[in-house]
Amino acid sequence: MDYSKNEMMAIATGREFSDGELAIFGVGLSMLAGFFAQRNHAPNMIAFTEGGVYGSTPVGGLPWGIEDNRISANATSFTNAIDALGMLVASGRVDNAVIGAAQIDKFGNVNTTGIWTEGTQPWKVGKYTLPKVRLNGSGGANEIAVGAKKYIIMAAHEKKRFAEKVDYISSPGYINGGDDRKKYGFPGGGPSAIVTNLGILRPDPVTKEFYLDSYFVFSSVEEIIENTGWDLKVSPNVKMIPEPTEKELENLRAVDETGSLRKK
Amino acid sequence: MKNKLITMQEAVAQYTWDGMTFAHGGALPVGSDCIAFFREMVRQGVKNVNLISNCNTQGSNLLAAAGGVARMEVGFSGLEVYGFANGLKRAVESGKTILEDYSNGGIPNRLFGGAMGWPFVPTFVSWGSDQAWASADEPDTYPNDKKIPAIKDPFTGVTMGAMKSLNPEVACIHVTMADIYGNCIMLGTEWSRFELSRAAKKVVIQADYIVDTDCMRQFPNLVRIPDLVVDAVVYWPMGVWPACSTGVYDSDEEHMFYMNKLLKTEEGTVEYIDKYVKSYSTPEEFLDVIGKEKVDQLCKSATNFLVDPYRKWIKSDAEIKELMGGR
Repeated sequence: MDYSKNEMMAIATGREFSDGELAIFGVGLSMLAGFFAQRNHAPNMIAFTEGGVYGSTPVGGLPWGIEDNRISANATSFTNAIDALGMLVASGRVDNAVIGAAQIDKFGNVNTTGIWTEGTQPWKVGKYTLPKVRLNGSGGANEIAVGAKKYIIMAAHEKKRFAEKVDYISSPGYINGGDDRKKYGFPGGGPSAIVTNLGILRPDPVTKEFYLDSYFVFSSVEEIIENTGWDLKVSPNVKMIPEPTEKELENLRAVDETGSLRKK
Repeated sequence: MKNKLITMQEAVAQYTWDGMTFAHGGALPVGSDCIAFFREMVRQGVKNVNLISNCNTQGSNLLAAAGGVARMEVGFSGLEVYGFANGLKRAVESGKTILEDYSNGGIPNRLFGGAMGWPFVPTFVSWGSDQAWASADEPDTYPNDKKIPAIKDPFTGVTMGAMKSLNPEVACIHVTMADIYGNCIMLGTEWSRFELSRAAKKVVIQADYIVDTDCMRQFPNLVRIPDLVVDAVVYWPMGVWPACSTGVYDSDEEHMFYMNKLLKTEEGTVEYIDKYVKSYSTPEEFLDVIGKEKVDQLCKSATNFLVDPYRKWIKSDAEIKELMGGR
C-alpha cells in the first residue's frame, strides 16, 4: 500500500482516540489526526478549539489557525479562551488531546519555547539567558499538559529533538519522573503516548520514563534507538504497528483534502 | 450619551504614548486583532511599548519589527500555520524585546483577575514548568520563585501558583460591529476580549461595521462589550487584514507570508512600512492599498451568513462620515 510516514503517524495518533471522548487538538497535523479519528472510528467524539469554537468541522481546507474562518463556518457555539482553555481543559474535564513538540525528553516534557546553545540551558547554568533560537511558546499546550486526563505528543523523531532533558519545559509531562506531577497538584494525568514518524513511545507506569512500545513497518527498533537522544528502553513485548487499512487511508485523505500529509 | 467615533490618527495620538502598557485584540494570530491600529502606532512612531498579548499577531509582529516593543508578556509568540513571527523573533533574539512567557489560558486569567480587582489569581497553569521558573525580567535568578510564587490553598492545604493580575493602561480591541457609543458585538470566538475590555483602564474599539443602536437592542445578549467600558470607537474596514474577521473576510494567505518574510530583516521592515503603513491615511485609501480585487475576493467568506441578521442596521460610509462631522 502506498502511504507516507506522516500519514502513518497521523493514523497512529488517531487510533489513540476513542468514541465519545471530549477532545481538543492544536492546529496542523494534530487537527488532521483528530478529525481523522472522528470520521473513522469515533463519530461521537466531541472536539472544540482553544478559543471556544464548538460543534464545527473544517470547511475549504485545513485551517491556517485554530480560530481561522475555515473552522468557524459551521459552529454551534462561539465562546472564549477562559471558557475553553480554562473551564474545559485546565480544569481537568477534557478526556484526550494532541500537542506538538520542538523538543521532548524522556519524561514527556515538551519544549516549544526556545533552543539554547549546548551548555547554556537555564537549568544547567542557573541563568535565564537568551535562547539561540526563539520558538513560539506554549500557546494552549500548557493547559492541555496540566489539565487533560491524557494526551498524545506528536513529534518528528530526530536525535536533537529527543533529548535526555529539554532546554526549557513549556508544557510539563512527568517533570522529573515518578509521581512528580502530584507535587504540583495538576488535575490532568499526563502524556499517554509519544507518536512519531518512526513509532510509539509510552510511559513506564512507575518511573514515567518513556520506553519504545512499537515501531512501523518502515522503521525498526535500531533506527528508533539511533534517533533518540536518551538511553531508550525497549519493551520486551515491542511490536509492529499494523499498517493503515484502506478505510483508514480513505478517511484520513478525506480530512486532509489538500494532501499536506502526503508530501514527503 | 456621547458619540465616541474618532479617526484612527486621533485614536493613536490620544491613547498611546512612549513607554505605555498596551494590550491588544485578545485575538489569535489568525484571528480578529486590531492590526490597523498597530499600523498607525508604527506610523506615529510609538516606542518602548510594554505589550500585553495573549497571542502575537501580525500587529505585534510589525511593531516589534519596527523596534517599538521593549517588553512583552505573551502566551503564544508565533503565527500558527504561517510559522514563526519573524519580526518579533528577530527583536527577541537580538535582545531588543524582553519576552516574558505565559500560556494562552494564563494571560486571560490574569486579565480576569485585573478586571475583578484582585491582586493575583491562583493557578495550576504555567506552574511546575519553566513558565514559572524562568523570568526574563530577572534573568540572573533561575529557578525563579517570584514570577509565579507558591501559595497554599487555605481550605485544603494544596500548594499552587499565584499569577499577578493585569490592568493594561490602554487596550485596543477589534470587534465586528459597534455603535457610536461603543456597544459591541463580536462574531467568532471572543478569545480574551471580554475580560480585556474590563481589565484595561482605557479601551479603544476598532470596528469592521458601525451599526445603529437598535441592533444592540435587538441582540442585547450578544453585546459582551457595553458602551460604559469604551472610550473611543474607530471605524476601519479590513482592519484585521491580512488576518481574518469572522463573518466579514478571510485571511489573506499570500500577504500573511509576504509580510512575515519582509519583517525578517530591518531593510524588509522599512520596505513594508513604506508600502503598507505610510501609503494611506483614510480607510478608503487603505482599501486601495490592499486592492479592490483582493478585498472583494477576501470578503467572499464561507462565514458571511453570520452577518445576515445584522445587515439592516449597518451604516453606510456616507452616514458614518456625517456622524464624524465630515472628518
